[in-house]
Amino acid sequence: MVNFSVDEIRALMDKRTNIRNMSVIAHVDHGKSTLTDSLVSKAGIIASAKAGDARYTDTRQDEQDRGITIKSTAISMFFEMAEEDLADVKQKTEGAGFLINLIDSPGHVDFSSEVTAALRVTDGALVVVDTIEGVCVQTETVLRQALGERIKPVVVINKVDRALLELQLTKEDLYQTFSRTIESVNVVIATYLDKSLGDVQVYPEKGTVAFGSGLHGWAFTLRQFANRYAKKFGVDKEKMMGRLWGENYFNPKTKKWTNKGTDTDGKSLERAFNTFVLDPIFRLFDAIMNFKKEETAKMLEKLEITLKSDEKDLEGKALLKTVMKKFLPAGDALLEMIVIHLPSPVTAQKYRFDTLYEGPLDDECAIGIRDCDPTGPLMLYVSKMVPTSDKGRFYAFGRVFSGTVRAGLKVRIQGPNYVPGKKDDMFLKSIQRVVLMMGRYVESIEDCPAGNIIGLVGIDQFLLKSGTITTSETAHNLKVMKFSVSPVVQVAVEVKNANDLPKLVEGLKRLSKSDPCVLCYTSESGEHIVAGAGELHLEICLKDLEEDHAGVPIKTGDPVVQLRETVQAESSIVALSKSPNKHNRIFMKAAPMQEELARDIETGKVSPKDDFKARARILAEEYGWDVTDARKIWCFGPDVSGANLLVDTTKGVQYLNEIKDSCIAAFQWATKEGCLAEENMRAIRFNILDVVLHADAIHRGGGQIIPTCRRVCYAAMLTANPGVMEPVFLVEIQCPESAMGGIYGVLNRRRGHVFAEEQRPGTPLYNVKAYLPIMESFGFTADLRAGTGGQAFPQSVFDHWQIMSGSPLEAGKLQDMIQGVRKRKGLTPEIPPLDRYYDKL
Amino acid sequence: MVLYIIGLGLSDEKDITVKGLEAVKSCSRIYLEAYTSILGVGKERLEAFYERPVIIADRDMVETESDAILQDADKVNVAFLVVGDPFGATTHTDLVLRAQERGIPTVPIHNASVMNAVGCCGLSLYQYGQTVSIVFFTETWRPDSFVEKIGANRQMGLHTLCLLDIKVKEQSIENLARGRKIYEPPRYMSIPTAITQLLSVTTDAYSPTTIAVGLARLGSATQQIVAGTLEELQSVDFGPPLHSLVICGKMHFLEADVVRGFAVSKETFDRYAEVSEH
Repeated sequence: MVNFSVDEIRALMDKRTNIRNMSVIAHVDHGKSTLTDSLVSKAGIIASAKAGDARYTDTRQDEQDRGITIKSTAISMFFEMAEEDLADVKQKTEGAGFLINLIDSPGHVDFSSEVTAALRVTDGALVVVDTIEGVCVQTETVLRQALGERIKPVVVINKVDRALLELQLTKEDLYQTFSRTIESVNVVIATYLDKSLGDVQVYPEKGTVAFGSGLHGWAFTLRQFANRYAKKFGVDKEKMMGRLWGENYFNPKTKKWTNKGTDTDGKSLERAFNTFVLDPIFRLFDAIMNFKKEETAKMLEKLEITLKSDEKDLEGKALLKTVMKKFLPAGDALLEMIVIHLPSPVTAQKYRFDTLYEGPLDDECAIGIRDCDPTGPLMLYVSKMVPTSDKGRFYAFGRVFSGTVRAGLKVRIQGPNYVPGKKDDMFLKSIQRVVLMMGRYVESIEDCPAGNIIGLVGIDQFLLKSGTITTSETAHNLKVMKFSVSPVVQVAVEVKNANDLPKLVEGLKRLSKSDPCVLCYTSESGEHIVAGAGELHLEICLKDLEEDHAGVPIKTGDPVVQLRETVQAESSIVALSKSPNKHNRIFMKAAPMQEELARDIETGKVSPKDDFKARARILAEEYGWDVTDARKIWCFGPDVSGANLLVDTTKGVQYLNEIKDSCIAAFQWATKEGCLAEENMRAIRFNILDVVLHADAIHRGGGQIIPTCRRVCYAAMLTANPGVMEPVFLVEIQCPESAMGGIYGVLNRRRGHVFAEEQRPGTPLYNVKAYLPIMESFGFTADLRAGTGGQAFPQSVFDHWQIMSGSPLEAGKLQDMIQGVRKRKGLTPEIPPLDRYYDKL
Repeated sequence: MVLYIIGLGLSDEKDITVKGLEAVKSCSRIYLEAYTSILGVGKERLEAFYERPVIIADRDMVETESDAILQDADKVNVAFLVVGDPFGATTHTDLVLRAQERGIPTVPIHNASVMNAVGCCGLSLYQYGQTVSIVFFTETWRPDSFVEKIGANRQMGLHTLCLLDIKVKEQSIENLARGRKIYEPPRYMSIPTAITQLLSVTTDAYSPTTIAVGLARLGSATQQIVAGTLEELQSVDFGPPLHSLVICGKMHFLEADVVRGFAVSKETFDRYAEVSEH
């Protein structure tokens, strides 16, 4: 059934204007994978008959079993556009054949890092929204991410069949439902719009919204209907599309179009959308589902649908499915929409290149990316690693933004920590093979030019999770992906049989590679820790670890969450620490940073890579900083990007710049391992007030300054009313009213609270939003299911850090907890006293 | 009773003064400070010569655990052995202060230090300016404040003694920052490395043709003294540590005569040396 060959696809890869790289994104269970099937069936890889059940892109057994997508999967498809429709493609094209590289992504929040990785390599997104559920939390999240990456969206409103069969909505109700959903999508788009993208709101009358049922394999945009009616009414197709949506009515008596809902006699008219679009569909549904055989036959004839002999005996749903698929084939409608409205790499890279590239925007690499130039220097971004059938090896999955990648090519592999001109995190290796990724299969190809999505063999050992592949020695990195979720839930793992330990260590390495978000590390006390975005994510990771990556039985400890150490006031005294040789002194104070600033740093809005003058202006204007101070931020930490700042507020200290490096090194570790429980610090501003240094460089080297600066940071923190922050989930639950009581009960038991509750217009469902401390979230899903008779299913995503009540320095619950954390890490249970860090003058 | 701070001199166990040896023999505990400089011989040779056990005191012990050193020093004698002179290149003033706080009398016993032994190269000790240390540059840390001092010295026609970095027992940056006591293998800066660093700084205080004197293992049997331009010294093999370097200022003709005797090439020495005839 494969109706295209690898050679055909390879030929298309050279026609950059005829490529569409797109991802399918949506809230969980809105039908992405099922809808993807109908596209794939059009491209011919799976038989049309099975479309709707196969979930082609769910390649893993557990994905098939659970009915959710866990990993994003890519497939390349070939689509031949009808000649007369080509004029509607407003970009440059070359021939009627199009190559569509589609990535199906998971909808569950726990896996949104997969979505991020998918978005990076695509230019357009098909946003799937459930007719009944409408825009949900994850719809909003993925749309925001897409717009942040400058990805153009088109929308498909899915599961229309349910609205018809289960809810029995009237035509006007259905129109209103559609209209509301589209409006909510546009509100989200307007909120997060990046101006350089232009207007990317979606409009049915422009053909950027499709309606359909992935399960039944049908879908349409107004374009299809406009095509049918344009001839009949003798008007232009585009004009017709406009008339088929919104306040447009057709008066059958006068045969005139009007934009008023009533005719001259005051009789109400039917909306054109209802008359011309919904009516035929409603009638078909009615005729077939109510077994009106004659009427069905008549309609089929009118709609020019011919059934094969074996299909004639079908009735009910099966017949409906067959008929609708022939009437409005989903593949055609969606692929057309994708080709017409989503940008080609050539179009997209022109406005994306400046957000993609870290280096100067006029060097050869930037220009190669901007022009999507296959003859330019190779610039390829590896966004994730895909396990191969060969155990322990991975395909590096990514997008060629510039140049051409071919087997045997010697390339520079630059990891996220690579700094141009240095040799850290950089390897020079040859690419063994270049492969086309097609769902469950891969196909080797010779080479791959700019604008395409590709898999690489032979470089997996040199990259941890993602990175830049280039041939230019001066290339900077392609920008590192910013994930919307962070690994906040962690668990310690150990092997059941001590002999298996090496396998576990190796397995952890592989696990870490195979997932963009998971974090695997060994704690100071020798425990192996796996950290994930949520309970489900962690569960899947551990299962993979046990069954695939390590292949040995493992034991897991209780899940624990990361905490943050912070301060709640300015240091009560000036903290002082002396260097070991007593010749150097550092004076420092710690103070809390505004929560908004901490968030802006975490989301990258304020970053260490900004120009320091521009950053100082923002800090001064938005956060009331002193401009001189703001210009003298020495560094961010931990990991040079965290939400703590080291600020030089000294006046006229000689040789100060000679100790800056030592201070920065000390600050990185101090903020990484705070003095309360060696958790990261957060939202603390450390001001260096004064420094006294020995006259000779050898007496103020790292050996003297680093321990001193570390100690003074701790002393400053301990005197600034230290506090502990815990991570909090934003939980969104959709449920009928009857389940509300259960939700409140479960949340209350877990220190959670509801802050928003609203009924979805036109449905009996309620949307509940609540905050829930992650520490209390283990087993929440199951608990909620039990508490509501299986009617409520939560979506939890990390939202913010919340200060915990109590002081870690005074006996109480918080101190007990901190002592527990310290014990787990193999530290002394007591928090070190101030005099360990503070020296008297 | 007394904390003796005893200079051990430059090279081996026998460089200690008679007075120093008598003091050592009267002590119940003997510490050897072994991180700011090193002796040419091991601890065992010292113990055999003193007929007493010697405790090695590393940086950590001297700087953060001085209490252990001073313990009971009001009842018994304690010796703190320092390579060179107790108040020479390395000053242990902090230890003296802390002893005084506890009312423990300190008695220094002097010895030769690189600060005076350097006179052997012929440059008069009266004509030296500020001493500088040259520390190992790292990729990101390049403290070059020594340039100003050398410049100031040379402006006044004075010589500059450069003490070269030694890292006997240092922690890596990460271990320092995390407060972990894991130590790196020892490193000693050689004269060519020091010159490479000196010349990597842009300055007009000196140039590749400035005359300098390299001294290795001063005071030992294998002592080596070579004079020449910085460029010439860069390719001289000075052998094992410790190394020091003197950057010459204006030389008196008698000084010049002695230094010429150590020169790699008398011709270049005469071309570039600044000699005053008065």
